[in-house]
Formats: sequence, C-alpha cells, structure tokens
Amino acid sequence: MKNVVLLTIDALRKDALGCYAKTDNLSPFIDSLEEKCVRFNNAHSTGPYTEAAFPALLSSSFYLEYGRQKRLSEKRLLISEVLKRSGITTAAFHSNPFISGYFGWNRGWDVFYDSLTDEVDERMPYIKASEINKKVSKWLASHLGKTNGRPFFLWVHYMDVHEPYVPERKYLDLVDPGMHLSLDDMMKLFSEVVVKRSVSDAHAVATLRKLYQAHVREVDESVKELFLMLSERDILKDTKLIITSDHGDEFGEHGGLSHDGKMYCELVNVPMIIWEPDRNGLMECDHLVSTLDIAPTIVHWFDLEPVAQFEGFSLFPTEDYHAEGVFGEAVDKRGRHEKGDEKEIHYYREGNLKVIYSERNDCWELYDLVSDPRETENLVDTSPKAEQMKDKIRPRVRRNERKLQRDDN
Amino acid sequence: MAPKKEISEKRKRQCQKLVEIAKDVTRKAFEKFKHEELAITWTGGKDSGLCLWIVRQVCREQGVGVPKTMIIGEGDEFEEIEEFVNTYKTEWNVPLEVCRNENVLKAAKYTLNSIVNVNDLDTRNRQELKRIGFDGLEFPFEAESYVGNHLMKTVVFNQFLERNNIKGVFQGLRWDEHPSRFSDDYFEYKEAGDFAPEHTRIRPILHFTEKDLWDTYFAFDIPFCSLYGVGYRSLGAKTTTDKRSSAPAWEQDLENTEERGGRRQDKEQLMDRMRKLGYM
Repeated sequence: MKNVVLLTIDALRKDALGCYAKTDNLSPFIDSLEEKCVRFNNAHSTGPYTEAAFPALLSSSFYLEYGRQKRLSEKRLLISEVLKRSGITTAAFHSNPFISGYFGWNRGWDVFYDSLTDEVDERMPYIKASEINKKVSKWLASHLGKTNGRPFFLWVHYMDVHEPYVPERKYLDLVDPGMHLSLDDMMKLFSEVVVKRSVSDAHAVATLRKLYQAHVREVDESVKELFLMLSERDILKDTKLIITSDHGDEFGEHGGLSHDGKMYCELVNVPMIIWEPDRNGLMECDHLVSTLDIAPTIVHWFDLEPVAQFEGFSLFPTEDYHAEGVFGEAVDKRGRHEKGDEKEIHYYREGNLKVIYSERNDCWELYDLVSDPRETENLVDTSPKAEQMKDKIRPRVRRNERKLQRDDN
Repeated sequence: MAPKKEISEKRKRQCQKLVEIAKDVTRKAFEKFKHEELAITWTGGKDSGLCLWIVRQVCREQGVGVPKTMIIGEGDEFEEIEEFVNTYKTEWNVPLEVCRNENVLKAAKYTLNSIVNVNDLDTRNRQELKRIGFDGLEFPFEAESYVGNHLMKTVVFNQFLERNNIKGVFQGLRWDEHPSRFSDDYFEYKEAGDFAPEHTRIRPILHFTEKDLWDTYFAFDIPFCSLYGVGYRSLGAKTTTDKRSSAPAWEQDLENTEERGGRRQDKEQLMDRMRKLGYM
C-alpha cells in the first residue's frame, strides 16, 4: 500500500457516529463512506483516557508496562520509528498536550506538530481540526513537491469533540435548533458541571450531550475536508485510512462525566472504520479487536516484517484474526494525584462477558454485555464464568512492578 | 576568542550559500518596508545574533545604518550576555533599546521569585492576563514561567512595535528549533489583534540547522557569547537554563538531543493546556 492515514478523534464515543448508533444525521460524511469501508463493530481501546490509550494506538503496547513515568519509555517502539527506518515518510499533526514532544512522542516522525508553541484560547484550548487540516495540506504539498509522491504515514488527531463543549451556532442548530446558549453559558456548564463531575441535574447532563453531539457534526465536516484534500491531490486512490478514537466520554452512565479511570463501555468502546480505495461494498466485522492491532495492521499494509515487540495483531484478513479477548489497563485517578496513590484498574472482554478489576477497593465486576449492555448488573458473585474471567486479569495486576523488581535482583 | 573550530573551504562555501539566501530575504524586507519601519529583535543569543549579523551585512551593502534593535530585559539575565551585548552594540553601532516591563518588575520589587499581586499591576498588564486566561490573584516572578513570559516578553514586544511604528521585525527563528516550526515562512504577516499592532515577522535564517549556524559562526569569525563555549546550548533566563553538558555547544550531539531541553517554559505551557482541557 502506498500511503496510510491514521485519523484519531479524541473522546469520540462509538455511539456518537450515525453508522454505529443506527441514526441519521449524527455524522453524515463518515456514514457516507460506508461502501468503501470495513467497519469493526466491537473495537476497544486499551484505556479510558489519552495517556492510557495512546501507547496502544502508536506502539501496540499497554499503558502500565515499562514503568509509570510521564515520559514515554525509551523501551517502547513507536510505529513512526518502524516505518521511518524503512524509508516511509512519517508526519504527525495534533494538539493534545499528553502526547506532545515534551513527553517523548515525537520519536520517529519526520514532521511532528503538537501545537505547544501556538497560543490557544481559554475557551477552545486546542488547535481546531480545520486549522490542523490546513497544516496537513501545507505539509502534503511540500511532501509531494519534494519527493514526487513517496509513500507516507500520516497521523492526524482532532480535539474538537473534547471538553469544553463550545460548539458554533451552526452546528448546535443541526442538533437542537431550539437551544440557545451563549459561549458564557457553555463555559459555565464546563466549569460547574463537567469539571465538578456534577451529574445531579439531568437536564444539564442532557444539554452537555447535545453540545457534544454538535461537536461531532463539526468534526465530521473536518473529516470530509481531509478526504477532499487527499482526493484533490489525486492521492486518495492510493491511500488507506483508519478512523478511530482513543476513548469515549461519559454522560452520567456510571455516575460521572468526561473520561476518568473507569472501564465501562461508554469509555472503552471505540469506533474503528477502515476506508480502502478499492473496496466495493461495506464489510462488517464483529471480532473483538483492539487499538493494539492498529500498528501491526499498518506494518502489514506496508509489507514489512511483523514487529515482535508489537502486542496486537494485523486485522487482515479479518477471517484469520485469532485473538480471543481484549485487555485494558489504567491508573484509576487521572492527572495529578499523590505519589503512591496510584491504584490500577483493569478490564478483560471475551465473548459476551466483561470483567473489571479495581485495585483501590479490591473490587470485581462482571457484566454480560448482550443482556446488560449498560453494565448495571454485576454478575461476579453469581456467574459460573466469573473465576475464569478473573484469572485472566489477576496475573496482570502490578505485573510491571514485579518485573522491575526481578530486573533489579 | 579562545574556542575555535576549523571549517573546510567546501563547508565555508556551503555556509556562504546559506548566508546569501538569508541576505536575499533581508534585501526583500528592505524593499518592502521603509528603513524606519524595520526593527530587529536581539537576545544576545546565537540565533538572533546571526540574524543581526546578516542584517548588518546587508545594511553595509546598502550604505544604511542598522535598524532599531530591541532587547528584552527580563530581570534575570546572565552577566556574560549583558557583557556581550554591551560590547557589540557599541562596536557594530546598533541603535539598541532595552525594553522592560517596568510595571511588572516594580510589582515584583525587582526580586526574582517574589510573588506579584495582580492588583498591583497596571490595566494593560491585567488585561493581558485576562486574555491568556489567567485568573489567579498572584503569580511568582520567574521569567520562564508561562505567565511571567507572557507579560515580560509579549506585552513589551507589542508596546515596542506600537511606540516605534514598526511594520517589519527581524527574528532569529530556525525551522529545526522545534518540530512544529516546519510550517513557518520567511515572511509572516500578523493582523492587528488585541493590544498587538499589525506587523510582519521576517525570519532570514529559517533554513539554517543548528550545525549550519555554528559552522557559519566559525567560517566567518562571527562573535558569540562565551557561555556557548562552556556547555550551554540554548540560553534563556539565567535561573532556568541548565547546562546539559560541559562540552562547547557546537560539539554536543546536535542531531539527537533537544536544543531547548534545558528550559522550563514548555512544561508550564503544557500544564496550562491540560488545565484548560479540564484535567486538573
């Protein structure tokens, strides 16, 4: 394959896209790509927030491996490094501080834009997708001009769906024309409701959901712009695109908001849509797959030797995909917390079942996602499958500490 | 000047080509703007120093004086830089204006690490704080902190442009200083904004890599601050710039280590972004 584009949309819930929610008008452009897509109906992220999710997306590894330091471990191998050493041009454009060059994520990229040197507005603390697209366009022109079309791997990350939810009028109108909120009102919702994780006012939470959905419409247009950019330069026909997200967002489903250290479906179920230029007709895949599989798939597409260090598997051909279950792990308190107060949280999904372990209260949960997709009935004390599911997680808890101790001894 | 590096004839010719490109950008700027509408930003560091030297070369070609030059007095300078600046401002006849945010300095009682009360600042400074989303009642006076940096540098820069009616300002930025700079242009027009007059930023040395820069210094015997000879690779404020090594700057591993790794400003900016995204 000539070129690959990985498009990740921060905090995008799987059910926020029309093609997954089976609803029109949530994301018309992305939905329209269907006929040339493989749509994964059971894709998972390895973590519920950016820091926990991106090691899988870009290095096919788990968050808690390689130590707890903020900076990306030198021992992780990034997809950019693998591709660059094979002569493929690598370029990254994003605006998320957690995956910035400061934390070491710029390894292996010929071009790495993380927006840290640009000023942003308090009310929109990232570079908008439309601006990111402009930078991509400039880079594309330069790349095509200088190299006469050498293969590239482009990673683009949009932040527009991420809080604070401050959509423009025209997008809000598409979701709820009757809603009239000023920018101040929206910022107040952000500071009073989202930041405080205050779910007691159901109306406020419903409003937030609408603002969020308006941002999804907005980002859908930027995706359209990106496709157009590639087709105008006549390279879309030689490019495969992966559209996915790092995690979802909560709107009160389990008593919270935003995306904290929890492993419920609203956070770890992610959209995963692969657009291929020569596909004729939608293919749906129900295998349990993970964002861990993205890097190995890209390696496969570029016809390179499989990378031993990558822990996922190539998604293609889909009928040969063998992995049985998916894992996820994170620290349960996101952001700042006292040193030593970092407790792990894990999940494992296999078949219809999902088990979650929270180290903080030594608490286990087990859900049947077919009969209980909202994860409200904990079956851990009654299900005959509970022990075997728990056994999948047990060896993984604190495994990194044990490994470090072994290495020291 | 003791430290020296030998540059081959071939390499010297390569550097000469890079210098010519920079001079062309400068000549273009001289055509575009009136001489009194131009200004140069200087820090005493290696990048703005090369930029100044190049502009000066073009000035001599054209028989004009060096344009107004501004240097920002952060209140936390290395003595070696001050010395260097004083020497060359005289030797090169540079019309230098030292610009300081006197209001902030006064509120900080001219003492590093003291606490500045937002209420002690004038309207302009308070407006700037509001604009960048800082709503605290006080901040520590540390030049490389995000808030401090903004007030001490950005406000002062904008006031200088306004006061002198500057339309074009030379900056010593390079593409390889930071991965995000690749999209910068030689000429960047900035529309008038809140408290910032419209102006064009001119970057004649964008295309120089760090290595190109040092080789050019040695090829043409251009003077530079002695601190670079003892391990400093990038010079910011004195208290927040660390020496990463004791080897002279041009002998360090330029390709594989970060040039600005010794500076704290990036971390502050990062934390600010995280806070605005709801993460703290």
